[in-house]
Amino acid sequence: MKHVSPSEVGNEGRAKPPTRRALAKQQTRGKVLAAARQLFSEHGYEGATIRDIAAAAGMSTGAVFANFSDKSDLFREIILMDLEQLVGEMREAASRARGVEDALLKIFSTGYAFFRPQMPLARAMFSVSWTPQEGELFRKLPQLLDVQSLMLEQLNTAVDRGELGQEAEGKVRAALLFDAYLANFRLAIFEGWSVEALQARARDQIRIILAGARRG
Amino acid sequence: MAGARQTQKAATRERVLAAARDLFIAQGYEAATVRQIATEARVSVGSVFNAFTCKAEILSEVMMERLDCLYAELDQVLPRLRGSTTDRLRSMFALFFAFETRHVQLILAHVSIAFDWTLPAGATPFGRNARIRELICECLEKGVADGDVDPEADLREVVELLVAAYVWTYRMAAWTAADAEAMTAAMDRQIGLIAEGFRPRSNL
Repeated sequence: MKHVSPSEVGNEGRAKPPTRRALAKQQTRGKVLAAARQLFSEHGYEGATIRDIAAAAGMSTGAVFANFSDKSDLFREIILMDLEQLVGEMREAASRARGVEDALLKIFSTGYAFFRPQMPLARAMFSVSWTPQEGELFRKLPQLLDVQSLMLEQLNTAVDRGELGQEAEGKVRAALLFDAYLANFRLAIFEGWSVEALQARARDQIRIILAGARRG
Repeated sequence: MAGARQTQKAATRERVLAAARDLFIAQGYEAATVRQIATEARVSVGSVFNAFTCKAEILSEVMMERLDCLYAELDQVLPRLRGSTTDRLRSMFALFFAFETRHVQLILAHVSIAFDWTLPAGATPFGRNARIRELICECLEKGVADGDVDPEADLREVVELLVAAYVWTYRMAAWTAADAEAMTAAMDRQIGLIAEGFRPRSNL
């Protein structure tokens, strides 16, 4: 059981209003993150410097460093914020689906719709995560696999419902679904595929991947 | 005279590519500089940039040249492969992994620059390779002829799915330093699942 001290319980009861100082700090962080998001999208991870980010946010380099330890810290924060929101949206979409194929398709589509307006940022994420040294930090983020876990959940639920057979090999199938989901981003980034086109391709992929697991 | 100049230009290109390949392998793509490549190739930095727009393009070319060797090897091996389509696909991908993991840092840098800003449109980054798609497609078409691939199956989608699985299986090398054997094993399982999707209906 989680230990909760009496004082914490008290705090939960009536949320302490944040001090002005804390509010200002939060505002500063928000401004830096917005500027960083913009610059990463325009120039990629390598091309965006802390100096440029500070200038775009209208503050000194020192003020940026007071809030973030370095560029990779900033980038990681943005990725984590996006992933959390994205997985939340995907989960919500999947919960409204009829059947496993539809649920998976909704997960794919939510991802493409989420990143479609900010493809350069997605591109920067892919680039950084494969970089031998710089990428090390990003690859260790457990949240990167949340989408794959969500796909696995859908498969397991389908097995429980009897929609898929017991021998569905959920883990391999979820990994394969995740591969397909990620690979399609290349088409969006470089070949300008629309969300609808990506969705059509995803539907075919999901059907092939599920074919062997279906009952009867 | 133009002919001589062309020949010289091609020779410079070759020298730069050979020097770059050695340097990338010896000290990694990130650490190697264009200046070093020029020194190694005994040409000026200006000549390097005359032949290539950036370091990323050099890597892209190095990787394509390396693949030419693999394809030459595969042209010999593939027609002799026996067994089911699933087995033949597994053998083919095992050869890919064995080949690429000889220089695993190169392949990781290659994927990374594929998403990079600086890569010129003319370069062929990872995942856009047409030859690998042809090889897979030939393998599947033989399967249709042999009767273990459903003639109704959408081969194009199956090819894309196999390429997706192949490309992203390399993340095991970046994420967990997996070797060729581990990646081949993971790919084998994925091929098994994809095969369930293209098996003729009567075999189900």
